[in-house]
Amino acid sequence: MITYIPAIAQPPHVLSSVVDRVQRRTRLGKHGWAVLGVAFGVVLLLDLVRRLLSGDLTVALLVGYLWNGLTYGLVIGLAGVGLSLTYDLLEFANFAHGDYITVSAFVGWGAAYLIAGFGRFDPGSLFFLGVGGTLYPGDVGVSVTTAPVAILGGLVVAAAAGAVVAVTLDRVVYRSMRGMDAISLLIASIGVAFVLRYLTIYVFTQQAFGLTVSAWTYGVALPGGTVNVSAPTLLLVASSLAAMAGVHLLLTRTKLGKAMRAMAANRSLARVTGIPSERVILATWLIGGALAGLAGFMIALLQGTITYQIGWTLLLLVFAGVIMGGIGSVYGAIVGGVLIGLITRVSLVWIPASFTEAMGFLIMILILLTRPQGLFGGETA
Amino acid sequence: MSLLTVDSLDAGYGELQILYDVDLFVDDAEYVTVVGPNGAGKSTVMKSVFGLTTYMGGSIEYQGVEISGLDPEEIIHEGVGYVPQTDNVFAPLSVRENLEMGAYIRDSVPEAAFEQVYDRFPILRERADQEAGTLSGGQRQMLAMGRALMLDPDLLLLDEPSAGLAPDLVDEMFDRIDRITDAGTAVLMVEQNAKEALRRCDRGYVLVNGRNRYVDSGEALLDDEQVRRDFLGG
Repeated sequence: MITYIPAIAQPPHVLSSVVDRVQRRTRLGKHGWAVLGVAFGVVLLLDLVRRLLSGDLTVALLVGYLWNGLTYGLVIGLAGVGLSLTYDLLEFANFAHGDYITVSAFVGWGAAYLIAGFGRFDPGSLFFLGVGGTLYPGDVGVSVTTAPVAILGGLVVAAAAGAVVAVTLDRVVYRSMRGMDAISLLIASIGVAFVLRYLTIYVFTQQAFGLTVSAWTYGVALPGGTVNVSAPTLLLVASSLAAMAGVHLLLTRTKLGKAMRAMAANRSLARVTGIPSERVILATWLIGGALAGLAGFMIALLQGTITYQIGWTLLLLVFAGVIMGGIGSVYGAIVGGVLIGLITRVSLVWIPASFTEAMGFLIMILILLTRPQGLFGGETA
Repeated sequence: MSLLTVDSLDAGYGELQILYDVDLFVDDAEYVTVVGPNGAGKSTVMKSVFGLTTYMGGSIEYQGVEISGLDPEEIIHEGVGYVPQTDNVFAPLSVRENLEMGAYIRDSVPEAAFEQVYDRFPILRERADQEAGTLSGGQRQMLAMGRALMLDPDLLLLDEPSAGLAPDLVDEMFDRIDRITDAGTAVLMVEQNAKEALRRCDRGYVLVNGRNRYVDSGEALLDDEQVRRDFLGG
């Protein structure tokens, strides 16, 4: 049966047609843009060397930027994997993904507070992070080193919360829309995003919560200063790498993971092969939601604060990473996320902090002009 | 009792009816083809048997069990395999992973099931770890059949197996199907290449405008003056 899918319902195609148009208008083909991009990169690299040699920029500062970029990028990549998996299987961009991140981050940190302050404070105040000023981070004293059990417990709860939120919303909203065009699903997901956001505001208000007290930090001595490697960032790097390795093993070694790749590649063939699509979709939401929860807990840990906008703000960068890596490719989402993280931090060498995210999007556009399908595009899962 | 009995089947897509009152049967280990002009509903017959169309009336019995209205997944459980016409391999998966997907409904896949397919199509053993997307058209067709044979079905549905194959590969493909039926698997095949299909099969159906027109042994249909003139190009 032929199902009519309007071109606009397929974001990558829209993007590639925009990219096509830019290429034609500017009379620069793919290769032209590639040359321009490489030239731009070479100029920046030479400038970087000049700055290092002249002492404008210290090695310590640069390494600090790289380390920050890597940690930030890993969170973006982790969140991107879930987004990419569901895009791949259900063929729509889930705009509520950012708010899955927010909700599960709040639940995870509520759990962390509950574990850390149990017996010392009122459980209700703990779980709601002392909303309304009944409790302060200094009182509870949560950090990776002072309360590792609370942090790890919170991490697990955040992942579980993300999975529950994702599966529940699929059952309530998306399942009844299975097979509908991508634009309807996308609009529904924006609705879901708003519902989650305002529920979060209803419970936690618009307050920004400080979460942690300072944790153990190791200073790495480098020419021109020290780079601080903190316990939270080490935990972040270790657990994101573990989660990514887990996803890789799942996709390549397990029957379920192979079925996910099969379904992403060819849904109608998966159906006639006897792959139970609803079960595979359920598993995909579970995994994607859990990774969103992990990412949410981590980004709050990294920043030390949480607000109702934490996931939404991250989502734009997650999209940039996923698109840059090639939408639908899990490995592309990881690489794209890390690249976005690195770009936004390393660009501090040249531009003020308020513009660094714009730099991430600029580089994304440059990469798409050269490789419209994204870095890993054309390969699924 | 026949393996498959289709009786007065009405079916189509959504509101659109394609098949009217179609009768058809396949016996154990029999090789049956459906031919006819474009748009006659040949593929629709096959898809209806496999639960991929909108059922509108009549009955489809497989081994005495009514299967109309069942999902493809349930029909696979009954012992029917289906090979779609195009896009019939999972391109990013390896050859072996494709075969593994063919046996998805089993909790575990015995190595012997892979070996059986590899023995039938030795090239697949050589290419076991290669991505299916890198295979040639003929090899993909073998992989698609191999995948459908992983569960050792009693009935294999083949939708235009020669479509898209280079002419010199078409004969080989028909030889392979002969060997599948020789091994005791019944085949119901839809083919564009009507002459060759009728030459090879046990029985043939000629379908026109979604209705039965002729049914007879393949040879008899080939010899029939009327059939030759109207459907086989003289």
